[in-house]
Amino acid sequence: MTNKNTFTYIIGRVLFWLMIGLIALYLLFPFYWAINSSLKNENQLQMTPATFIPRAPQTLEVAITLQNYASVFQNENFLRGLWQSTIVAVSTTVLSLVVGAFAAFALGKLRFRGRTPSLYLILSMTMFPQVAVLTGLYAVIRTLNLPATPSMILSYLLFTLPFTTWVMTAFFRGLPLDLLQAAQVDGATPFQTFYMVLLPLTLPALVTTGLLAFINAWNEYLFALTFTTIEPNARTVPVVIALFTGQISRQEPFGEIMAAAVVVTIPLLILVLIFQQKIVDGLTAGAVKG
Amino acid sequence: MSVSSAGDMKAPQPKKKKSGTSELMKIEQRLAYWLLLPTLIILFVIAFYPLGSVFYSSLTNRVFASGREVEFVGLDNYRNLLSVTVQRLNPALDENGAVQTDPDTGETIYERPIDVLPREPARYRELDQFSFFGSRYVVGAIDRNFLLAVGDTLQFTIITIAVETVLGLGIALLVHSKFPGRGLMRVVMLVPWAIPTAVSSRMWEWMFASTRAGFFNVVFQNLGLSDGQTAFLADAAWQLPAMIAIDVWKTTPFMALLLLAGLQLIPGDLYEAAQVDGANKFRQFWSITLPLLKPTLAVALVFRTLDAIRVFDLFQIVLAQSRYSMASYAYYELINGQRMGYSSATSVVIFIIITVFAVLYIRLLGVGDDE
Repeated sequence: MTNKNTFTYIIGRVLFWLMIGLIALYLLFPFYWAINSSLKNENQLQMTPATFIPRAPQTLEVAITLQNYASVFQNENFLRGLWQSTIVAVSTTVLSLVVGAFAAFALGKLRFRGRTPSLYLILSMTMFPQVAVLTGLYAVIRTLNLPATPSMILSYLLFTLPFTTWVMTAFFRGLPLDLLQAAQVDGATPFQTFYMVLLPLTLPALVTTGLLAFINAWNEYLFALTFTTIEPNARTVPVVIALFTGQISRQEPFGEIMAAAVVVTIPLLILVLIFQQKIVDGLTAGAVKG
Repeated sequence: MSVSSAGDMKAPQPKKKKSGTSELMKIEQRLAYWLLLPTLIILFVIAFYPLGSVFYSSLTNRVFASGREVEFVGLDNYRNLLSVTVQRLNPALDENGAVQTDPDTGETIYERPIDVLPREPARYRELDQFSFFGSRYVVGAIDRNFLLAVGDTLQFTIITIAVETVLGLGIALLVHSKFPGRGLMRVVMLVPWAIPTAVSSRMWEWMFASTRAGFFNVVFQNLGLSDGQTAFLADAAWQLPAMIAIDVWKTTPFMALLLLAGLQLIPGDLYEAAQVDGANKFRQFWSITLPLLKPTLAVALVFRTLDAIRVFDLFQIVLAQSRYSMASYAYYELINGQRMGYSSATSVVIFIIITVFAVLYIRLLGVGDDE
């Protein structure tokens, strides 16, 4: 009897770890394949069948090249794209945190007429489809004569601002009121209460929502592609990679594209490693009722 | 122009209240409006005004970046987008008036669809053919590509969501149990989510390469499923499955993480009680896990469905103009076609489809019930 139990237990464990391993393999393999391809030269990339680690065509010995990375880091468009993405993502994040925190404080802690409709408005905006306003937004930008970079920053608020506001509202609401009252008793104005008491307390929430805003802005493609049509120098890195052509005109340079893909992904993976708990909190904040 | 109108907006003055309301309340109210104002102005400029102008220009023949006078054309754009006709095809007759048949297969040859499809108000193109009660019919549409895009997008959405829900639930249940390395597994789950879609699209594009330089052709050939020359991204039969595979990989972890968070809200003693009552694992899943997970599942489904319907990056990057999603069609109409009015009508149709899905879901799953 005990023997049989141990046996089923072991089988169960083996199956369990097998499944975990399979899932991890499934989720990581495309990224591994990109790294593998980025370390191959042009000839190695065209080898059939493709090898699972970079190998020399004739001898089949392991042969790794860094030339794709070298040429990616000499590619002006790519470097400019990285810089553009940084500017746009950081500005969008800061702007939506500041503006969103103001609104969230009002929605979470103050009593005023029109609070519930405002809340619903902002909640519905978190699911707003970007493509629905594409033509209208482009027209607005052309009318205002905005260059591509501020256009992207402004338009990214469409998806970062409602989300930031919504999540921050929940955080503000959860904060104890007596702290506010204590501050007021001490003679603080509502603004001072906000700035000196509430803001430091909500720093964790700011980090969570800021991270998500940053990643979403860094990854955005539709607006970036559309608004940089006539201003190629303002392209962000996803657009650069999507439109990537080699230095010399030839077939699509997948070695370089994969190297660029790996370079862009690594900072995001570092963020994920450091902040995984915060990111998961932020992702689920809007979706799960606690 | 919209900014000046938005900039002129004054903060909504707090309504005068009956005497007896404390001064403090009024200050609080005024502060609230001032704090909300920047958000409202921004949302007005980037969402409400553009949405209104999209609805308006969908009724015009506006051309992008041109000085041409804009005419109001009513619902013409929508008629061109959505018109469908079904026409019967007669068997083709030879000179003697006899029905022609294919010499090889013996099947009846029908007249060409182009001869029966209407040319007014605009030329109808063949969308599909079908047989019904021994007669042959052709389905024609004015804008063949858009209707195909609608069909493809809906098919893509339904299959992707179904697959990733099942897969996501499985992963969530597995990762929910305690085991060493669980934190690491969560990091792994965030990887596909964190990679920009534009980047992962290109990674997969390379894996789907049409020779054995591509990963999938190597695997298919090794399994004896193909000759290793399948053009996954050019072959019409493989395009949608490839898109679905990429999107499932990219979004399943998100689904799994949401469901995992939902699972963690279920109190563990419920399972202990069920154990004592002798309910097996399957029964526990069916009577405890699933019902209690329903609110989370509902929200996750809404998020993911609305996301999938507006899929753009993937289709635009991998398939470009060989096959459209609704959003990529709207994009190409705007940028390549410069047809702003027409593209706006496309956007409105997408907006309406998304709204219908959202309302359906909320009704069906009772998302708002337990507020």
